[in-house]
Amino acid sequence: MIHLEFRLEQGGFVLEVDERLTGRITALFGPSGAGKTTVLDAIAGLRKPSAGQILIGSRVVHSDVLRVSLPPHMRHVGYVTQDVALFPHMDVRRNIEYGRRRGQKLELATVAEMLEIGDLVDRGVSMLSGGERQRVALARALMSAPELLLLDEPLAAVDVELRRRILPYLERVRDSLGVPILYVTHDRDELQRLADQVIVLDRGAVVRSGAPGEALT
Amino acid sequence: MPIWWAAVLVGIAAAPGSTGRAVTVSAAISLSEVLEDAAAAYRQRGGGPVRFNFAGSNALARQIANGAPVDLFISADHAQMAFVEEAGQVLEGSLRVVASNQLAVVTSGDRVAEVRDAFPRAGPAIRRLAVGDPAAVPAGVYAKSYLERQGLWNAYAARLIPTGNVRSALAAVENGSVDAAIVYVTDVQRARNVRVVFTVARDQAPIITYPAAVLLRSPNRAAAGRFLDFLQSSDGQRIFARHGFLPPPAR
Amino acid sequence: MDLWRITIFTVLTAAAATALMAVPGVLLAWVLARRRFRGRLLLETVVSLPLVMPPVATGLILLLLFSPRGPIGSALAAVGIDVVFTWRAVVLAMTVMGLPLFVRSVRAGFEQVDRRYEAVASTLGAPPFRVFLTITLPLAFPAILAGAVLGFARALGEFGATIMIAGSIPGATRTLSVAIYTFTDTGRDREAALLLGISAAIAFGALWMSNYMSARAGLRT
Repeated sequence: MIHLEFRLEQGGFVLEVDERLTGRITALFGPSGAGKTTVLDAIAGLRKPSAGQILIGSRVVHSDVLRVSLPPHMRHVGYVTQDVALFPHMDVRRNIEYGRRRGQKLELATVAEMLEIGDLVDRGVSMLSGGERQRVALARALMSAPELLLLDEPLAAVDVELRRRILPYLERVRDSLGVPILYVTHDRDELQRLADQVIVLDRGAVVRSGAPGEALT
Repeated sequence: MPIWWAAVLVGIAAAPGSTGRAVTVSAAISLSEVLEDAAAAYRQRGGGPVRFNFAGSNALARQIANGAPVDLFISADHAQMAFVEEAGQVLEGSLRVVASNQLAVVTSGDRVAEVRDAFPRAGPAIRRLAVGDPAAVPAGVYAKSYLERQGLWNAYAARLIPTGNVRSALAAVENGSVDAAIVYVTDVQRARNVRVVFTVARDQAPIITYPAAVLLRSPNRAAAGRFLDFLQSSDGQRIFARHGFLPPPAR
Repeated sequence: MDLWRITIFTVLTAAAATALMAVPGVLLAWVLARRRFRGRLLLETVVSLPLVMPPVATGLILLLLFSPRGPIGSALAAVGIDVVFTWRAVVLAMTVMGLPLFVRSVRAGFEQVDRRYEAVASTLGAPPFRVFLTITLPLAFPAILAGAVLGFARALGEFGATIMIAGSIPGATRTLSVAIYTFTDTGRDREAALLLGISAAIAFGALWMSNYMSARAGLRT
């Protein structure tokens, strides 16, 4: 379970979240500017809440009261950002293996097979299509064996046709790896198909949360 | 064009006073204090303003050969004056010798005994000896001649720190970068913490002379000649003596 | 041949100076590019000073510090290390004068590395030092290289500070520029002209290489 209970102020914008994530995939839904990326940044440790706490499973990654705030490299959170951000100076293989710890059980071959990118591993990242980049970024995040996976609109920059083809990969990840996923989107169809739980965010506040059917009118 | 050419131009242009009338003198750097005093005395007696450009004589000679607008040149040796003569810059018949000098071996105040002991035998206590560049700076040329005569040149050649002019060699002793230096005995008067170890006797060193000449292209020949006359007068020579210079060698 | 010795000596000392400015330069550039702290403006100004101050003035400061009577010079002399009037002074002058140029270039390089790559790398479990080594440094590498070439070229041409603390000792501290000055001063005009030709050729080559590398880096991004 992911326990989010924090407040983050930045400029004039205030984000306030108090939610427990129990599903396999929780969707974070809302218009642009609602603060969805900020939520992910806070969980990953890239931004500091002004007050509150964040727990991943039983681990406290941030807490005012306990004066704890783990830096990002200690949070075991995989993060696929909106702009993918594959390291331009490394090939696909080195990108994916970047987060791999020595001796960890999860291997490149497994992840590559699941996402069907096995034949791309020796390519330079500039020679990938949009969909391939998404899958490589996903593989890279998975390879670090995270306890939580954050996906920021992974399919936003991808055309409809491609979207239909990538969704199954996400389902595969959800079903076979057992890592909870927090998935930002503003596409209702993706939501319906993938999410067990939805949090609707608008202007920094949670306006509704629950199962996809009821949360979306 | 060499940097100093521009520096001389700027220096001359920037000088205050009746720029048209002041006599511009390029003189060996070892004459810095004595000539400033002489110019002040000259002024008091009704002579005109005099401006100075002090540097190593070889640098000055090159400036003049390249066209620097100077009225009077006072060199620390004949070689640099000859250079200027060969460049056709000297006013015929104006050549005089205004003074003479002596070399001195100097060191910092606390090392006099040590250097006095080590110098004549080129002992290891003297790891570095500063002199004007023996290739062309008069003080360096004189120093080399002296060392050769004493049979010490080979011993010291590898330990030499050649400097651009004699005052740089003095400064090297002052800041402790060298163990000793060969400069003019007159240079030591103003230096802090520098002491003469011994003065080089006249029979052990080449004769040091300061030839002076009015320059051909000078627009102030008459005024330059008058200042030169003053330097050679008994009043002028007294000022030289006060600063430790010797009278010009009798010919 | 004397002139080749002078050239090789100059190139070697400039290379040593470039190597010497590498680590402090990268560190300074990183601190200035990435960290906010009190006194940052002061640090920035001090690092840039040799760029703006007259080189002889910088040379004088070095002389005051490193002469056997100075604070650093006396400590070094106590362990038998001479600086003033030795090749060490040459390398020192070159390093001090080249460092600001190097830092400028590297800092610009760090500033244009997208922080998001660093952020992603840290979420993947890389501690800050590993992020620096594997992400920041490689991505800033073209700027570091260009900065090194600039620093090297500046070191090659260094004169004012060099003549102050190293003098012009044949075979020991006579760099190309110092030799040109001394030879001109002592009437060796032909050799001065030859050295001038060599200096110009090296400067031309260094600039060419620097511009070529910048262009290539530009094409790659």
